Amino acid sequence: MACFAAFSFSMVISILTGPLAIVIVVSVVVGLAMVVLFGYTSDQKAIGIAKDQLKAHLLAVRLYRDQIPVVMGSYGKILRGTVRYLKLAFKPLLYVIVPITLLMVQMDRYLGQTPIPVNAPFLLTVHFSSSDALNDATLALPSEIVMTAPPVHIAADYQIVWRLAGTRDGSYEMNINAGGQSVEKVVCVGGGLPRISTVRLRGQFWNRVFSSAEPSLPENVSIESISINYPDRNIEIAGYGMNWIWLFFILSMVAGFIFKELLGIQI
Amino acid sequence: MALREAGSDFLFAVTVPFRKRLRPLCLLALCAVGLSALVSCEHARSGAAASRKMIILGIDGLDPDLLTKFMAEGKMPNFARLASEGSFRRLTTSIPPQSPVAWSNLITGMNAGGHGIFDFIHRDPKTFQLYFSTSKVEGPKHSFHLGSWVIPLGSGSAEQLRHGKAFWEILDEQNVPNYVYRIPANFPPIAAKGKTLSGMGTPDLRGTYGTFTFYTDDPTAAAGAVEGGEVVQVEVKENRVDTHLIGPDNTFRKNSPPSTEPLTVDVDPLEAVARIGIQGQQLVLKEGEWSGWVPVEFQLMPVIGNVKGICRFYLKQTHPRFQLYVSPINIDPEDPALPISTPSSYSRDLAKQIGEFHTQGIAEDTKALTAGVLDDKEYLEQARTVLAEHRRAFDVEFPKFQEGLFFFYFSSLDLNAHMMWRLTDPQSPAYDAALAPQYGSSIEEFYEQIDQVLGEVLPKVDENTTLLVLSDHGFAPYRHSFNLNTWLLNNGYIARKEGAVEGSEPFSDVDWGRTRAYGLGLNGLYVNVRGREREGIVDPEQADALLREIRQKLLEVRDPKANSEDDAQVITRIDLASEVYQGPYARSGPDALVGYNRGYRAGWKTILGAFPADVLEDNTNAWSGDHCMDFTKVPGVLLSNRKIDAQTPALTDIAPTILAEFGIAKAKEMKGQSVFQPR
Repeated sequence: MACFAAFSFSMVISILTGPLAIVIVVSVVVGLAMVVLFGYTSDQKAIGIAKDQLKAHLLAVRLYRDQIPVVMGSYGKILRGTVRYLKLAFKPLLYVIVPITLLMVQMDRYLGQTPIPVNAPFLLTVHFSSSDALNDATLALPSEIVMTAPPVHIAADYQIVWRLAGTRDGSYEMNINAGGQSVEKVVCVGGGLPRISTVRLRGQFWNRVFSSAEPSLPENVSIESISINYPDRNIEIAGYGMNWIWLFFILSMVAGFIFKELLGIQI
Repeated sequence: MALREAGSDFLFAVTVPFRKRLRPLCLLALCAVGLSALVSCEHARSGAAASRKMIILGIDGLDPDLLTKFMAEGKMPNFARLASEGSFRRLTTSIPPQSPVAWSNLITGMNAGGHGIFDFIHRDPKTFQLYFSTSKVEGPKHSFHLGSWVIPLGSGSAEQLRHGKAFWEILDEQNVPNYVYRIPANFPPIAAKGKTLSGMGTPDLRGTYGTFTFYTDDPTAAAGAVEGGEVVQVEVKENRVDTHLIGPDNTFRKNSPPSTEPLTVDVDPLEAVARIGIQGQQLVLKEGEWSGWVPVEFQLMPVIGNVKGICRFYLKQTHPRFQLYVSPINIDPEDPALPISTPSSYSRDLAKQIGEFHTQGIAEDTKALTAGVLDDKEYLEQARTVLAEHRRAFDVEFPKFQEGLFFFYFSSLDLNAHMMWRLTDPQSPAYDAALAPQYGSSIEEFYEQIDQVLGEVLPKVDENTTLLVLSDHGFAPYRHSFNLNTWLLNNGYIARKEGAVEGSEPFSDVDWGRTRAYGLGLNGLYVNVRGREREGIVDPEQADALLREIRQKLLEVRDPKANSEDDAQVITRIDLASEVYQGPYARSGPDALVGYNRGYRAGWKTILGAFPADVLEDNTNAWSGDHCMDFTKVPGVLLSNRKIDAQTPALTDIAPTILAEFGIAKAKEMKGQSVFQPR
């Protein structure tokens, strides 16, 4: 799945450069895919009947508004019809939601944050399993990454925070040594759309799936997590910056509604 | 109404048969041709004026004597060139020579009687409530209580109190493009076609002229409010400080308590470094280091009532005592809680180009230096940041200037002369011989930076461009304080209540039934007039005689410690409002303006209605240079690339000069006239 996402993204990135163009293209494609997938996995006939019945009951409410028993009965049928419609839509939505969620997680690796700008400070926070581990922890840096302040040891949180800065564009490995073990964390410096991992975790499978783009930390180290505070990426539209997810949500919905009409698929 | 008419026109167009529609269309076409011909003629008539450009650098507090000295020493080559190739005059300042008054004179071409700004602070004669003279920010008029919540019915408002038309309003009317950066006394900014950003008078998020917060575990530091700030006692527990950032008063809560947001600081047990955490943001600072701008959001009411601001942190000390300074929380230019620019999006656009910046009117934190929270080095670092922001804005905006007027304001010379004068003046009671070699040249450094700005401007000045470089006033030493209210008390013009103890409210212990005159503000002297003041006792007809009597006595006050007779005269002139002000507001302000000699100024407490024991005191405050004196002793400067015809130009001449440059007649209310010969 990760290979598929990486491949599709490298294709998209090679064709289009800016994040806005990527979000637009992906949103339209996803909008189309959602509608097609929904069409194939749903009972279109039953959905059509359910929607027609809902419309009929709504019409009854308007036509017989002076006959309270009829109106009340129609409301009950609208409620039941809505539940039936939701049941019919639930299964195809499941087919749609799972791949979309996984796709969004992968997209967020590229579009959620920007790399650390050159010479801008960033924080490397290492969370240990106990406060004792703080005493002998050290950090080894490549020549392109410099330490701009002494580390802050926070015993109460089992954390050490280093303030660093990158002097050149690129992805660099930093080594944290603790308890005789050494682990790496990658930092991306500069511009572009690199695949960014804000945190490296030990264990925590589901957390890793959603938050990390790096392998799990070895089980035998005293480090729970290593994180970097990358700046959030905002996509500019008409002078307003917004997170890509909002834009993706709006554009894919619009695309979905357009394709639904064009393909004659009942949603 | 206009919308309705447009709608009926549209209906007319779609319902009337084509031939009938043709007739009015032909008429309309004829009118359009006629109109365009008229516009062409008008354009041709004003073509020369339309091609003119004007650049104004408004340099607050640029002093003619210092400028002359630095030019002679070769430290300001660009000013020297402008002065030698163009003109250099002393510019008569306002009465009184205070920045809000002076810039209002410049903006409107009127004196305080016309624009209604007499001081930094004004008083309501009926309640003796003090308020900022240039603007008023009010919450909603109606609200209802729901438990401890106060639910507003309607929105609040920000109102500018300066009267009269600003020169850029008139330029707008004549379609002359203009750009006005941070001109004082323009908060909230008046509606304008061009880009404007408000300056002096813009409050911080707490609604003050700037309130810093200082967190310390030093038990000798008294917690609570200090002038311009607040000291918060904290406890460092297991190397952690858990405290709160103090925001604006929460008017959605009963009794409007200040809103707060949790602030955590983790101090390294050995190294002089700490991590600061606020609202999910983290930053690491070394001791003696400033943070960049940190956005903060205060939740006043869930969902609907949030306000955004920005602040900077300075980690002053980690061990053995914890000391953290937090700047006043400025209105966030990217999402301003109050209007600070025109168009409203401009502050956001500028922030995108130059980064977040100080929006507070008086950005240099002079109060933190005065309170000893920041030392000279730290204050100067902060002040240099302010100038660097202005220069970044200038470097972004000036290259865009193509036509019309470009006005750019710099505050640095004023605020830094106020604070650093003592280190250039061995006679100052606040002079420090140890600090003088280190920081005594800081005023000169800021002057040199302004010269560099002028160096960027001069190459763009061509024969169609008029350049004005001007200041609102000059500067003088402020060595001794004169406590006007104490003098009035000692001379029987003010009476205090029997056994009164001075309260926190201004004049709270004054027996108004036996008080004839009082001082308020930096230069204001008021008569307790019957019918105007709440408990006035002086007949309006007798006010003038009383003022002349007080004037006579005040002019005789001498400083017994002075070195010479010239220096000994504390007050060198007193101007009666009836003699110097014209306009609809001439009687709204002080009845007389006290003009102090160089070296003297109204004392810190007397300006807010208090009564220190001594009439004359040494000024040991870091605020050691000033200009709120006899206006003839602190003129500003006026330099131009063109020959200035006026021998004694005044601030009120600037607006007419600007208008004349674009071929626009001055408004009839304007007192001044163009400083140039008509072209």
